[in-house]
Amino acid sequence: MVVSLVLATLVVSVTGACGGGGEEDAGSSEPSGSSGPAFSTNATGALAAWGFDNADEVGTSRLDYAKQQLTGVTIKVDATPFDAQKFTTRAASGDVPDAVQMDRQFVATYAAKGLIKPLDGCFSAYGVKPESQYYPSVVDDVRYDGKVWAVPQFYQPPAIMLNKRVMDKAGVTPAEIDTSNPDGLLAAVSKLYKADGNNPSTLGLDAQPTGQAGLWLLGFGGQLIGEDGAPTLDNPNNTKALEVLKKLTDAQGGYAKVKSFTDSFDFFGDKNQFVKDQVGAEVAPQWFVNVLTPYVKDVEISAVPFKDSSGKPFTVASGSAFVIPEAAKNPDAACAWMVKLTSQDAWMAAGAARAKTIAKTPGAINTGLFTGSPAADQAIRTEYVKASDNAGFDEAIATYYDVVAQGKSFGSSPAGQQIQTELQNAVASALLGTKAPDAALKDAQTAAMRAYNQAR
Amino acid sequence: MTLSPPVPNESDVAAPKSSAGGGRQRPTKKRLTKFNRREALAGYLFISPWIVGFLVFTLGAMIYSLVISFNYYNLAKNTMRPAGLDNYAALFDDPKVALSLRNTLFYAVMAVPLEICFALFLALLLNWVGRGAGAFRTLYYLPKMTPAVATASVFFLLLNGNSGAINQGLGLIGIEGPQWLVDPAWVKPSVVLMTLWGVSGSMVIFLAALKNDPRELCEVASLDGAGRVRQFFSITVPMISSAIFFNTIVLTIAAMQVFDQAYLLFWRHQTNASPDSSLFYGVYLFQQAFRQFDFGLASAMAWLLFVIIMFITLIQVKFGNRLVYYEGDR
Repeated sequence: MVVSLVLATLVVSVTGACGGGGEEDAGSSEPSGSSGPAFSTNATGALAAWGFDNADEVGTSRLDYAKQQLTGVTIKVDATPFDAQKFTTRAASGDVPDAVQMDRQFVATYAAKGLIKPLDGCFSAYGVKPESQYYPSVVDDVRYDGKVWAVPQFYQPPAIMLNKRVMDKAGVTPAEIDTSNPDGLLAAVSKLYKADGNNPSTLGLDAQPTGQAGLWLLGFGGQLIGEDGAPTLDNPNNTKALEVLKKLTDAQGGYAKVKSFTDSFDFFGDKNQFVKDQVGAEVAPQWFVNVLTPYVKDVEISAVPFKDSSGKPFTVASGSAFVIPEAAKNPDAACAWMVKLTSQDAWMAAGAARAKTIAKTPGAINTGLFTGSPAADQAIRTEYVKASDNAGFDEAIATYYDVVAQGKSFGSSPAGQQIQTELQNAVASALLGTKAPDAALKDAQTAAMRAYNQAR
Repeated sequence: MTLSPPVPNESDVAAPKSSAGGGRQRPTKKRLTKFNRREALAGYLFISPWIVGFLVFTLGAMIYSLVISFNYYNLAKNTMRPAGLDNYAALFDDPKVALSLRNTLFYAVMAVPLEICFALFLALLLNWVGRGAGAFRTLYYLPKMTPAVATASVFFLLLNGNSGAINQGLGLIGIEGPQWLVDPAWVKPSVVLMTLWGVSGSMVIFLAALKNDPRELCEVASLDGAGRVRQFFSITVPMISSAIFFNTIVLTIAAMQVFDQAYLLFWRHQTNASPDSSLFYGVYLFQQAFRQFDFGLASAMAWLLFVIIMFITLIQVKFGNRLVYYEGDR
């Protein structure tokens, strides 16, 4: 009987009698060219939000602020990490939260599938102009098909953190750690590198070739994603960046040894790579300065910006964002909540809370907050980030503030994650020597293009 | 009151008789008595939660997956548009499907024999130990109870090519260990190593089979001059062949569906050093469903895997039965 049922279902499916009501199988809920749904500022009722897993005082203070502002809204927060499988299940069942926090690299994928609402109407309802409120690269992260699909928060620009103790011992100056001069950089890295037998014991530069591949490729004038969201991994300048990365890793024992060495770092702990002098320099995001502040007595750090080929400071954008699922029951409340959470006042409350926490530890250093909004960043810096008695930390903090405005977005694409995976594939193949850089990127482009066509 | 299915009495059933002229009389089927019917009903009621669970969460889901595989599924609207055989055709156009299948088959061919041997080895050790066997049994079974994420975190350190304990151990005997998690040639062996950590389920089955191994046969063989190795291969292995056969089938099915180890070791973070060599079929299926949101293609992949596993199992059963000794056989 079961076999008959299965066979019957097969026949019905194949002949098409099981079709649903919709003709389209992807795309946004709004026709192209329209500005998206309108939002009301009359926020009431219940709001179900998903995000803020492991929220520290920066998160909780903003949540408290938003709650105070939205007196007519009952807010319930699911503080578990975002999970694509969980979101998909909820979307299929129609039981989705009203607001969801996710990494910005996912936004275009979800937008292309019609799973989230465009938010231009949300911003305009509250008089917020995204282009003025946020850094251009931060808005570009969440812009797709001419619309803005998320309320961005945070922006953690990478720069190059220096281990001055290691550099002084090797006689290398910060000026020599210059990505716009690959030959000079290679020479400096070779001077800093130390090995213990066959294995590295100190890296000259932990370039983060797979984790920060985008930074290197864009910094050398390359491109990952075009204006239309299509991958551009075979851009000729991408090859140049990959060749530089190969030279850097080969000079330090080869990619396999370097990767195994960096995998063994106690990244967040008291025996981290700067305490143990396992690196002379490292491409690190801004939040890592904060990770090192408890170990201020055990490290000697500074920072220099990553530079593009013309010698200008360069960085890339990344961070998280809030979206409103298409099937959200209370989008107006979600819009209000998200806008309040990322408002100037909310960020100032976060800055105050962070300062209060830091003040409890004598001698602790305030490294600032990088919110995604230039006005909030500057206001928090002016109010709370003061010179410490550690010149190295002050230099590092200043470097990150200097580069934050120089950021570029990777671009947004419905196949964003798959493009990143293919890029990693290309980088790994090239660095391991199994493929030449241009061949690796060409193969990656073919695979990424397939994923892009599938996702549209 | 027993819950076992009713067993007809000898007097109720006419036993089949073979006559000199050939032909057999068919046994007369005895109708169940009212009591037996009630007993059967009680049995089914007791297992009904499982039956409902199976129908809803397994069979129902499988049928729905089959339906989706012939459609383009729109997650946002929860609607479907007929795709005919397009999703299945796409499987043959996508080189990553073939790549992931190759990786998975290679892994299965490597992992299953090693798991059988290792599980049997542990079971033999446990069978040999007298006192303290219970404590060792518990210890050997503990890895099975450890969450996969915790195990992966430990193996991430153990398998580190520079400083991992495995390579340090190899170094003590003069072998330079490979870059387990980075070198494409050693990615699958690293997954096999992590899989071997969890063989205790198979070990328990082997242990039960070894406990049933009649010692008198070994004693007789020993009297005839057979050594331990000869006894193992000529007596023990045939006697536990049904357990070996069962484990081979079950472990092959599990190997073809490998996901946890590969995903947790290589795909959890954004710094996978060998994406192509660590792309297993289960991982790619997961990516198609939850990254690309192409549920039609993902469902087609799932059914393709089902057919492949079914085919492999049928071959194993067809040829395996010739090698297996069942106690009830004449």
